[in-house]
Amino acid sequence: MRKNMETLRPMKNKIKIFRAMHDLTQEHLAQAIGVNRQTILAIEKEKYIPSLNLAFKISRYFEVNIEEVFIFDEKTPTITQT
Amino acid sequence: MKKNTFYLIFGCIAIALLAIFWYSVELHTPLFIEIAFIVGIVLVYLAKRNVTDILHDERDMKITEQATMRTMQIFWVVFCAFSILTVMEILRVPTFSRSTLTFRSQDILPPRMIGYIQLGLLCLMIFLYVGFRIYYAKKYGDFETDEE
Repeated sequence: MRKNMETLRPMKNKIKIFRAMHDLTQEHLAQAIGVNRQTILAIEKEKYIPSLNLAFKISRYFEVNIEEVFIFDEKTPTITQT
Repeated sequence: MKKNTFYLIFGCIAIALLAIFWYSVELHTPLFIEIAFIVGIVLVYLAKRNVTDILHDERDMKITEQATMRTMQIFWVVFCAFSILTVMEILRVPTFSRSTLTFRSQDILPPRMIGYIQLGLLCLMIFLYVGFRIYYAKKYGDFETDEE
């Protein structure tokens, strides 16, 4: 049963820091990459892990590599997302 | 089209459907409301396609997808159980030859009761969907407070 479940590791991110560096509001960033402001908030609060596509869009917007914005934390226990 | 215009159209369609439903009951013609209901839903879908200021991003889609999947997972079991009962009622099976086993009454499920149960199932589906939608919206950070 568990084999069919999507397992995700917690993904930390520095969106808030990059936003502060670029003096951007969540609304501005959301509009720039074509999502809702609530989605940016959910990503920042680590409630939602963005798709690879969205993660690339965010990092490209800040003109940095994806790994500078999103940190894959292997030491943190796995969360099972159904 | 602005989303407020869409909500206005949606409200008008709902009121029109309610009036048609009442008229249909008065005339004892269920076909009238059935056709109107399908036309009404098609109109709502067409109107929704033209709304420009509602943005459905990947998180919204994920919430909708998860809520729909969970609703269907529960609903199909309940619906199947009810359907098996009604099919048995239609086919009049099983029947046993021995008199000791002829416990089946003539009307296990009267037609009026089937209507009430179907109405209950419809309400169950709506409540399940809304419940799961709230649950997944909360899980994916919809009710997070913002410090900005």
